Amino acid sequence: MYEQLDKRDPAIRAEIAARFNGGIPYNQAIGLRVVDVAGERIVTALDYRECFLGDPGAGLWHTSVGLAAADSTCGLAVFLALPGLETIATLDLRMDYLRPAVAEQGLWIEAECYHVTRCVGFVRATLHQGERERAVSLCTAAFMRTGRQLKP
Amino acid sequence: MSDSNESKTTAIHEDLVAAIPYAAYLDLRIEQADEAQARIYRMPYRDELIGSPRLPALHGGTVASLLELAMQFEVLIAEAQTRIPYPVDFSIDYWRSAAAADCLCRCRLIRSGRRIAQVQAECWQDDPDRPIAFARADFLLRAVEGDNPAE
Repeated sequence: MYEQLDKRDPAIRAEIAARFNGGIPYNQAIGLRVVDVAGERIVTALDYRECFLGDPGAGLWHTSVGLAAADSTCGLAVFLALPGLETIATLDLRMDYLRPAVAEQGLWIEAECYHVTRCVGFVRATLHQGERERAVSLCTAAFMRTGRQLKP
Repeated sequence: MSDSNESKTTAIHEDLVAAIPYAAYLDLRIEQADEAQARIYRMPYRDELIGSPRLPALHGGTVASLLELAMQFEVLIAEAQTRIPYPVDFSIDYWRSAAAADCLCRCRLIRSGRRIAQVQAECWQDDPDRPIAFARADFLLRAVEGDNPAE
């Protein structure tokens, strides 16, 4: 019956995203927020924290923080793109680090699941600090549909 | 394996972790029994690293973070860099889900040129012969002045 969930309905998408994100302890630990899931390109964000720094002298975020947030956000994009509610697992993920993210500013992650097959969801993401055109990093990933249906 | 003989974390290695706040946040440990042995990077388990409470499994992003940080430390130590080398790119293959337990990682510095170091890393939990993830990354060496991508 969950196959009949209308995943195009922005209210339903927001509810699914909130439950997905709320159910992941690490997302909660780092404070990952769901910003916008109404469209196909979804947006999450992290507020700046001192413990996210990689190079305190230069005042730069560590790239691994964005990496972990990209994994979560890409997963959410795939989860929302699949017809029902089913479990997924990251198969592989690649990051290109274009420029460092600077301290005191937040980090936004925009992800889009651009293709789904019977077994796999393909997704790409852009990480930025407010200007999408000045991306901090780019991400591409593939997620496996592990097959189990979830109860809402 | 010589697991009964606990490998030690040296004071110098503790300073390195403390210099990178996100590594300190993950409570990373750099362990090396002696100079001749490969460095082992450990991410001690804690509940907030969980990604899937049902399995339970660690969040893939924490495993990826461990691998990226380990490779960064490996370049920093092996190449005697005075500043933290920045990654140019990174990619990871997830081979098995990570159980709710410590993760360990070992790195291979494949090539180190004048500007770029290329590294691989593998992560396991109970058995090094059953790795849970593999990663590779390129790092920009910063011995050369004016190579800082932040500028």
